[in-house]
Amino acid sequence: MSGIKTHARAVADVVDGLIVASVEIARAPERVFQALASREIIEWWVNPGVFDTREWTGDVRVGGRWSASGIARGAPYTLEGEFLEVDPPRKLVQTWSRLGMDREPSVLTYLLEPIDGGTRLTVRHAGIVAPEQRQGMSAGWRTSCDRLAEILPTQKR
Amino acid sequence: MSRIRAKTDAFRAIADPTRRAILDRLRAGPANAGTLAADFQSSRPAVSKHLKVLREARLVTDTKVGRERVYAVNPVPLQSVAGWLEGYRSFWQASLTRLKRNLEAK
Repeated sequence: MSGIKTHARAVADVVDGLIVASVEIARAPERVFQALASREIIEWWVNPGVFDTREWTGDVRVGGRWSASGIARGAPYTLEGEFLEVDPPRKLVQTWSRLGMDREPSVLTYLLEPIDGGTRLTVRHAGIVAPEQRQGMSAGWRTSCDRLAEILPTQKR
Repeated sequence: MSRIRAKTDAFRAIADPTRRAILDRLRAGPANAGTLAADFQSSRPAVSKHLKVLREARLVTDTKVGRERVYAVNPVPLQSVAGWLEGYRSFWQASLTRLKRNLEAK
């Protein structure tokens, strides 16, 4: 298992409203796929004290619906969507909406590639649009002005 | 949750490469429309149109100096976009870390 990288990595692209994340797991793609498309979700869509997914149901076939609910920072949330592509153990594509929040669903794509000793899982969460533009800085937005340089694309003429 | 009008949406405003370049130029310092038009070798009406979109999304502010309007970048809407996305980024960072740990422990 020496080829497996230790850490998960997630990056955001502000301009495209896109998150790309990846992790290498020392288990076969079939095993990883099962964790993505079953109630096992409630064991890993979890970050103690931040969010905790408690329920998940899904009809894992193209056109089937899924739904998840839990608590994030003390407030209940419900996520829901539809499976667009189900191709075990290689690919799973589903729409994603926060109930009562999102104007349009984002699209979540999981890609699983076999690698030496396990699986590379890549998550692409695309089309994320902010629910509203805040008039000013609320307490939740901790991003400092210093980060603007990273946020703006570096297109120089 | 209030619905927003498309024209105030920072995501849409920065979807255009010329507008991203204008913002990038304004990061170096405030400028008027004439200077920007010269910098971008485009017509002043074209630049004014882009500035209007950026102003409506509150990505730039304008101040009247004599007969000119001077434009400056306003980072706040982009920060809210970045802040919103950061929630998703940290969600996946934490979830994938946990998935790896759970599966490899079994």
